[in-house]
Amino acid sequence: MKKYVCFIVPSIAVVVIHTSFTGSGPSTKAELGKLLFFDPILSKDRTISCASCHKPEFAFADTGVVSLGVGGSKGSRNTPSAMNLSLQRIFFWDGRAKTLEEQALAPIENPVEMNLPVAHAVLRLKQSDDYNNYFKAIFNSEPTASNLAVALAAFERTLETVESPFDQWKFSDDSNAVGDAVKRGFAIFNSKGKCVKCHFGADFTTNEFRNIGLFNSKELNDSGRIVISGQPGDLGKFKVPSLRNIAMTGPYMHNGMFKNLRQVIDFYNEPDKVIPNSLNRDSVLSKPLGLTEKDKTDLEAFLLSLTDRRFSLSEHGY
Amino acid sequence: MKKLLIAAGIFALISLTITDQLTGTWETKLSPKGNVTRVVFKSDYTFEGFINKKPFVTGKYTFENDVFSFVDNGCDGKKGVYKIVFFSNSDSIRFESVNDSCEERRNGMIRTVLGRVK
Repeated sequence: MKKYVCFIVPSIAVVVIHTSFTGSGPSTKAELGKLLFFDPILSKDRTISCASCHKPEFAFADTGVVSLGVGGSKGSRNTPSAMNLSLQRIFFWDGRAKTLEEQALAPIENPVEMNLPVAHAVLRLKQSDDYNNYFKAIFNSEPTASNLAVALAAFERTLETVESPFDQWKFSDDSNAVGDAVKRGFAIFNSKGKCVKCHFGADFTTNEFRNIGLFNSKELNDSGRIVISGQPGDLGKFKVPSLRNIAMTGPYMHNGMFKNLRQVIDFYNEPDKVIPNSLNRDSVLSKPLGLTEKDKTDLEAFLLSLTDRRFSLSEHGY
Repeated sequence: MKKLLIAAGIFALISLTITDQLTGTWETKLSPKGNVTRVVFKSDYTFEGFINKKPFVTGKYTFENDVFSFVDNGCDGKKGVYKIVFFSNSDSIRFESVNDSCEERRNGMIRTVLGRVK
């Protein structure tokens, strides 16, 4: 009998340990990606995670003009939101990645972000018993650069938001979900404001590049897309960003030069007043829009209505 | 007078039937990428389009003799004209381009098959 007890007790312990292990660890690619997204193991000095710059409470964007990488190093572009990327076809302000998987690894290696060669990051994951087990359970493989990218991208694809007042107005056909200012603002967005020419689609982006007039080769010298494409016409062009949760993701533009949405609207209304010497600005913005103060207020109300309820209710849930 | 009322009634019924042929909610099947497109044709001759529950297009349309003409908030206000082909007991539709100079929209629409949801 004693022998049986000796055998049974360790067996139960193994089962309990295994159960608790599998119960607490990630069981899908997206769950593993979430763990990695928040883990500073992927940065050189183990201080920075993806979430350090893509902050959940700010729609996975940052509140600084530029974010700080390892050792306090500064990038040159504003951190875009990592939400609502599933339908997007280009990534980064200059579109240098065509897939989320391709995008996911770049910040790990970037010297002013996480500054860790991907091969080294993978080695760290392999040296972690937990991560080794997670990758084997989910990918049937040890950690590799490829499945690291797949996991991070899978998590990012879960970050979709469809519960803004605007969504409720349209999808649920609930005209009380938004006020009259929002409805007027949406009409201006589609007409006088010309916003829809670039911000058309489910995430309010046409997935293309535009030069909105923030390049003058002097103090504004980020030439944008041209560095990737080599096409002269791409001088000063940047990706048209999504407008979902835009109220949460300021400051705005690729260089974070506008602190709030009103500054953005004022700029688009009269670009020459703000940047009089821009180069290669898009013809859509060749003339002032002629928005009244009421138009601007309505347009801003519409933009605010694109905020998902999880942010308005402070239900981050991440 | 009685004949006139009956004729008016029949006309109203026919009009209602024609309107009902398109009005309502239509959806694509789940695409390989996991996307579902929904279009709601309303009885006031406006429509709304959604991808994965996200509104992406809104517009106004006419529908006569299976010809669907519309303008939406994309494509710089260009008009699109399509023949709507009903099939599967009119529970499914597809679009045949008659005239649409907005190439991206046309490429999307001629590939789209929608099934009636309600």
